[in-house]
Amino acid sequence: MAQTITIEPITRIEGHGKVTIHLDDAGQVADAKFHVVEFRGFEKFCEGRTFPEMPGITMRICGICPISHMLASAKACDGILGAKIPPAANKLRRLINHAQYVQSHALSFFHLSAPDLLLGMESDPAIRNVVGLVQKFPDLAVKGVRLRAFGQNIIRLLGAKSVHPPWAVPGGVREGLTSEQIDTIRQGLPEAFDTTELAVDLLKDNYDSFKNEVKTYGDFQSLFIGLVTPEGGLEHYDGLLRVMDAEGRILESGLSNDRWREIIAEAVEPWSYMKFPFYKPAGYENGAGLYRVGPVARLNICDFAGTPRADRELRQWRRLGHGKPVSSSFHAHYARLIEILFSLEKIQELIEDPVIFDTHLRSIAGANESVGIGIMEAPRGTLFHEYHVDDTGIIKKVNLLVATGNNNQAINKTVQQIAQSYMN
Amino acid sequence: MATSTNSKPRLATVWLGGCAGCHMSLLDLDERIVDVLSLMDLVFSPVADIKKFPEGVDVTLVEGSVCNEENLHLARELRQKSKLVVAFGDCAVTGNVPGMRNRLKVNDIVTSVYTDPFYREGPGPVPQAEGGEIPVLLPKVVPLHQVISVDIYLPGCPPSPERIWAAVNAILKGGPVELPEEMRSFG
Amino acid sequence: MSVVTLTINDKLVSAPASATLLDAIKEQGIDVPTLCHLKGLSERGGCRLCVVEMEGSPKLFASCVTPVAEGMVVRTHTDRLIKYRQMMIELLLAERNHICAVCVQNGNCELQSLAAKLGVTSVRYDYLCPDLPMDASHERYVMDHNRCVLCARCNRVCDEVEGAHTLDMAGRGIHSKVIAGMNQAWGTSRSCTSCGKCVQVCPTGALFKKGSSAAEMVKQHDFLLWILDGREKKIWRWS
Repeated sequence: MAQTITIEPITRIEGHGKVTIHLDDAGQVADAKFHVVEFRGFEKFCEGRTFPEMPGITMRICGICPISHMLASAKACDGILGAKIPPAANKLRRLINHAQYVQSHALSFFHLSAPDLLLGMESDPAIRNVVGLVQKFPDLAVKGVRLRAFGQNIIRLLGAKSVHPPWAVPGGVREGLTSEQIDTIRQGLPEAFDTTELAVDLLKDNYDSFKNEVKTYGDFQSLFIGLVTPEGGLEHYDGLLRVMDAEGRILESGLSNDRWREIIAEAVEPWSYMKFPFYKPAGYENGAGLYRVGPVARLNICDFAGTPRADRELRQWRRLGHGKPVSSSFHAHYARLIEILFSLEKIQELIEDPVIFDTHLRSIAGANESVGIGIMEAPRGTLFHEYHVDDTGIIKKVNLLVATGNNNQAINKTVQQIAQSYMN
Repeated sequence: MATSTNSKPRLATVWLGGCAGCHMSLLDLDERIVDVLSLMDLVFSPVADIKKFPEGVDVTLVEGSVCNEENLHLARELRQKSKLVVAFGDCAVTGNVPGMRNRLKVNDIVTSVYTDPFYREGPGPVPQAEGGEIPVLLPKVVPLHQVISVDIYLPGCPPSPERIWAAVNAILKGGPVELPEEMRSFG
Repeated sequence: MSVVTLTINDKLVSAPASATLLDAIKEQGIDVPTLCHLKGLSERGGCRLCVVEMEGSPKLFASCVTPVAEGMVVRTHTDRLIKYRQMMIELLLAERNHICAVCVQNGNCELQSLAAKLGVTSVRYDYLCPDLPMDASHERYVMDHNRCVLCARCNRVCDEVEGAHTLDMAGRGIHSKVIAGMNQAWGTSRSCTSCGKCVQVCPTGALFKKGSSAAEMVKQHDFLLWILDGREKKIWRWS
C-alpha cells in the first residue's frame, strides 16, 4: 500500500523544514520532498518603509547570516543612492563578511555537522548533537566554540552586537576600528588558523569512512552559480555572476549584478513555501535548470582562491571531482573549512591595510536611482536583494532570493537520493 | 532549582516563527555554554535530533512568534509539558518583525508573492496549505503569551548573551527572574 | 511670590503658587514618568503618565496640568498608579506599530526606555496593527505614523517656538493623526521652515532625519531651553 513517511522537524539545519518520503505499493521510495514550512512575507511588509531601514529589517530574515542580508541590503541601497562608497567602508564591509564566514562555517562544522562526522551517522540520536560532542571530544568542541567566537567578536567590535548589528548603512558603514581593536583581532588569528587546520586534518583523516555518504548525499550533475572576482577568483562580497555546467564549461561569465534576472527565474510548487529558482535559459521542466549555490559551487566556479593556504587546500579539494566539477554536496564540509582558511587569510590581510583607518566611512546621498540590486555570497550561497523605490525613497517593491531558495531544487533532489539509497 | 527527578534540570529550546538569532545569542555565551550544558540536560532543541517534545521539561526557552498553526500546536504542547516557559527574545515577547505583516491581509500577501510575475517568472500554482504538507498561516502573527501562559519574559532582538546569562543563572538558583532595567528593554 | 504648602507622599512641602503639581513633585526629587510633557513647551496632559492620587477625590490628576493648591495631599507611587502607568505604556505600544528592533530610534527612544523603566514585560492587549503610511515627501525629514504616540510635542514646538504652526492634529481619538499644512504631503507645505525642531522633540522614531537607518536617530532637546532663555531672559548660550 502506498504510504508517506514524515520527518519533522528537520533539526540541525538553518531553517524550518520537513521531509516527506512517499513509498509505492511495493514499499519502494517513489518520491521524497523537502518542504519549507515557514512563510513570513518580508517582500510585502517592507513595502512602504524608507529604503535606509532595509538593512536593519532584512537582517531579521536570518539570525545565522544577518551580516549577509545586512550587506546585500546595504549594497542594494548603495545602488539607490547611485553613489560610490568610501574605500575604507568597502574594506570594513569585507572584513565583517569574512568574520561572518568564520562564525557561520564554524557553526556548521563544529556545532551542527561534527556530531555526524565524529560521533557517527548511526550514533544515538539522543546524544548525536553538540552536547554529545562536548562530552566525547571536549577539547575539540571548545576549540570549535572559540573559533566561532573569534568571528562573532569581530562582528561585535565593528557593530556593537554579534547578532543583528545596526552597522552597514546605505553609502557605507557607521563605525571603523581602533588600533587596540585590531590588536585584539590580530592576537586571535593564530589560534583560529590552528583550529581550522586541525579540523581540515580531522576531516581528511576520516574521509575514507564516508564513501557511502559521498555517493548519496547530493551526488548528481547540476549547474553551479555564484560570484567570482573580475579575475575569476573566489569572491564573497561583490563580484560578477558566473554559471558553470557539470562538465566544467562556463555558460555565463562576467555577468553584472543588474542582469541577474536574465539567468534566474522562480517557479512555485504547491507543497512548499520556498520558491524553486532555476537557470532561465535551460527552463524548469525536468530539472533542466537545476543549479547549486554555496561552498561547493563557489569552489567549483572560481579559477583560484587567491590566498596561499586556501589555494593549497583548493588544489586537493578539486581532485575529488576527478577532472570535472566536484559533484557531491558531501564535499561542502571540506569546502567550508577551505573557506574559513580563505576568510582568516583575508582578515589577516585587511587588518594590516592602512586604508581601514580612514575616517571617511559613508557617502551621503538621497534616492537618485529607482532600482537597487545587491548580490552577495552568503555562507550558504548566493543572495539577491532587489528594491524599487519612489522619488521620495519609499520602498515600492522588494524581491529577495535567499541562498537556501537557490538550492531548493538541489536539496529536494538530495533528499530523494538519500531516501532511495537508504530505504530501497 | 527543584526538579521532578532530583537530577539535572531538563532544558528545552524551541524555535517558532523567527530567525534563529536568539539561539545564536545563546551560543554566544561561548565557553559558558559548556557550563550551562553541564548544569542542565538539553532534552529538545533545533540543534539536537529529538523529534518529539518530551514530557517533564523544567525550562523551555521559546524563540519566535506564533505565525502558523504548527507554531500554535507546538506552543500548546510545550506549555503542557514544561514547568517554566520563557518567551525568549522580542518575536516571542512582542511579535516583532514577523508581526510587521499584520497590517496586511495574509491572503493578499501570499497571492501577491506567488502570482505576480515580479516575484516569479516560472510556472506553478500557489502553495496549498489547507490539507497539504505546509501549515496554514494565522491571520495575525501573535506573541507567545497571547496563545499560552508565559512565566518569564526575556526581551531583545536578540537578547544579549549577558541577558541570557543573567536569566539562566536566576532560573538555576530557583529564584524569580528580575532583570535590571537596562536588561529588559525591547529591541 | 506667594507660596503654598502641600503634602507629597506624606511629606509637607512648599511650592510657588504658580507652579504645577508636576513642578512641585520634581522639585522634591521624585521621579514621576512623563511623555507628552517637555520643559519649554505648553502642557498638554495627554499621555496621563504623570497622574497622581489626591486625597478627597476618587479621580486621578495629571500633575502636569494641575496647579498646586494649599493643603493638597497627593501620592505619586501607589500600587494603583504603578499599575495604571504600565497599562498606559502597554496601550501605547498596542495602538500602532512599534517594532523597536528595527526602529531608527532603537536605544534612544523615550517610549522604549519608559517601558523598561516601568517594568512593562509584555503587552497584555491585542496589537491593533493599523495600516498606516509614512510621509517621506519632505526633503530632509520623514514622518512615520506607525511610531507616533500623539504626544503633540511636534505640534507645540512648531507653533510655540518656531512660530510656523505647520504641524497640527487631525481626527479624533484613535483616528487622530499628525498632519502637515492643510493635511497635505509634508514636502508641499509652504509654511514649514525645515528647522527640524519637531524632529528633535519627538520622543519616538515617528519623526526622523531622512536617510536614517536602524538605531541611528539620536535626538537633542536642549536647544529648546537655549532659545527660550534667550528670548525670555536674554541669556544667550553660544556653544
